[in-house]
Amino acid sequence: MTSPLLATAADTATGGRRRPLARRTAIAGLGVLVAFALVGPLVLADPAAQDLDRYLQGPTLLEPLGRDEYGRSVVARVAHATRLSLLLASACVATALLLGTAAGIASAWFGGWVDAVLRAVSEAFVALPALLVVLLVSALASGGSLWALYLGLALAQWVEYFRVVRARSALVMGSAAVEASRLLELGPGHIVRRHLLPDLRPVLVTLASLGMVTSILAMSTLGFVKVGLQPPRAELGLMITEAFPFYDVAPWLSIAPIAVLFVLTICFLTLRDSEETA
Amino acid sequence: MTDPNAADTLVVHRAVVRTPTTVLVDVRDITVRAGRPLTIVGESGSGKSVLAHALMGTLPPELAAEGSMSIGRSRFDLAERAGRRSLWGRQVALLPQEPALALDPTMRVRDQVAEGAPGWRPRETAALKRADDRLERLGLEGAGRAFPHTLSGGMAQRVAYAAATIGGADILLVDEPSKGLDRESLDRLAVMLAAHVERGGLLVTITHDLGLARRLGGDVVVMQDAAVVESGPAEEVLTRPVHPYAKRLLAAEPSKWSAPWTRDNLRADEAAEPLVTAHRVSKAYTGKPLFQDLSVEIRPRERWAVVGPSGVGKTTLGNALLRLTDIDAGWVRHSGTTRGGRIQKLYQDPGLAFPRRVPLESSVRDVMRRHRVDERHVRSLLDEMGLPFAILRRRPGQVSGGELQRIAIARAMLPRPVVLFADEATSRLDPVSQATTMDLLMRQVTGDGCALLLVTHDLDLAEAVGARQIRLGADEEASL
Repeated sequence: MTSPLLATAADTATGGRRRPLARRTAIAGLGVLVAFALVGPLVLADPAAQDLDRYLQGPTLLEPLGRDEYGRSVVARVAHATRLSLLLASACVATALLLGTAAGIASAWFGGWVDAVLRAVSEAFVALPALLVVLLVSALASGGSLWALYLGLALAQWVEYFRVVRARSALVMGSAAVEASRLLELGPGHIVRRHLLPDLRPVLVTLASLGMVTSILAMSTLGFVKVGLQPPRAELGLMITEAFPFYDVAPWLSIAPIAVLFVLTICFLTLRDSEETA
Repeated sequence: MTDPNAADTLVVHRAVVRTPTTVLVDVRDITVRAGRPLTIVGESGSGKSVLAHALMGTLPPELAAEGSMSIGRSRFDLAERAGRRSLWGRQVALLPQEPALALDPTMRVRDQVAEGAPGWRPRETAALKRADDRLERLGLEGAGRAFPHTLSGGMAQRVAYAAATIGGADILLVDEPSKGLDRESLDRLAVMLAAHVERGGLLVTITHDLGLARRLGGDVVVMQDAAVVESGPAEEVLTRPVHPYAKRLLAAEPSKWSAPWTRDNLRADEAAEPLVTAHRVSKAYTGKPLFQDLSVEIRPRERWAVVGPSGVGKTTLGNALLRLTDIDAGWVRHSGTTRGGRIQKLYQDPGLAFPRRVPLESSVRDVMRRHRVDERHVRSLLDEMGLPFAILRRRPGQVSGGELQRIAIARAMLPRPVVLFADEATSRLDPVSQATTMDLLMRQVTGDGCALLLVTHDLDLAEAVGARQIRLGADEEASL
């Protein structure tokens, strides 16, 4: 039993979210970017269509972000790049999350040699820096392949889900609540659905928001150093590098992708923080 | 600020604590004098602990306090929290609930006791010496270098007491000190508190434990629903109470229980096949034997109690009989009738026995589906427990401990168990809730013809249930 004092304190802590405004702003910001990324490519011009007559044209009403060195529409390119980043990051996070959670639960549940093997594999991944894993996979595949990037990022990330889920599940599996469920013979489905998943959900949401940021940044980092996706594909990091030679005459070229990266990162991090305090 | 010698009375003129929606405490005119202890008893949730924190000025910021109190000749406004900080440790000290949690787990005992000494500075030997001295007087010589998690509940409490009083505070507020303590630790606690009073200190004790209230003597205040319902000298209030709630509180002591199930017991059939057979089981924990060569047979309808001081392995023995824990030697066999979830367990903290993030209804419905129980049966069972079905829409954390334990009993009865293991199931409840909960539990157990295995540190409780006892810890060997 908790004392009434603690109970009241706990009620107010869980009752109201501490920073509803920040959370709402983050959700709105993400919503706008996702809408832009999904709708933009459908209505805007072809991002690869060149128009060399309008080389580095400044922003106009029709082309709010101007045109790049090949006269391509920067708005259209940013929209495509944002869509690519969001989709690829979601795919990586979803894969890493499923793989990591399943492995983590299996490890805590069965223990013994299952746990030993999974732990050894995960530690091998931890020993390598995440970007190196991505680089390795990219290097093995043909240059600039989307699949290589996806596989590399997912492999680099599943370990953190695995480790967190394993530690947390081991605690839950040892709890009195699970012991009671075993005595009631409620079966493994009940334990996963009622005990493990509800307990893991908040952590997973936090990790996933952070994972989105990591994936998007890793992708653009690789694009920026030209080992990720290859031109002429529109990719945020790649766009930044390509715009560099022209930053004195056409600064809007590099500002647009940087702004998108910045807003995405801020929004996901805010979501993660409000999830932690909620 | 004040002359410390003047602090020989504590008067609470008026104290009101409220949340935006409810009043938690509303009391007036409570006086404590040096040498005459005051004990506040009452049910959980009646605002006793909140009152103590309001007097200390340590309420969480969501709770608003009003009113005033006087210490000696100086008067304090309860709404103004910061003003009393300078009194902490020097004039007023609080011995908190669950002392094991109040101690810093990363600091050695001696260092954290020394921190409260007047004029303490890091690595100052005078304060450390004082701490050693204090610990020694409390019978804790040698515990100074230990970390808090290695101490027993009773020892942790004495350490917390040393830390709280080393600053020389005359006024000591003690919040629920007897929770989870065995009889021996309880004796030491009573002696310790009485010594504080004899030295001329002021003592305010908040407790469920009427035995402790009786031993401390002085004045007693009975609280219910945020208000004082009865007060007066201990001898009077604790023998001839006037208010109906005070009467109920007194009748709730296990030694005074009388119910149909306290009489008709032990109609166990000696010839029946035992449900649980333990043969010469032994278990040691880090080299210390908990029990050795213990043999028990639990037959249908029998009542067994494992009793002994805290930390001697009562729960471990219970778990061993349920085959929830490994044993070092011997064997435990369950008969065929126990198959299909027909051995159930109740936990000391029911909050930990339910998945904490899902509504109770989902967990109970899973049990109903697995054991093919229809909703009408659950409704009538909850009805017998005095609970509405709608309470299941809440989560475990949103239900009081007493209610949750009753829901746990209802859940445990759903598979029609033949053995029920109650592990200190009522020890965290206040006396009135304990009496109701035990009554409901025993009615279910006798009604269903279920055998009961009770683990408790409360001998009176074991005797009230009329159980055969397994005593652990008293001597080297467990005795039957």
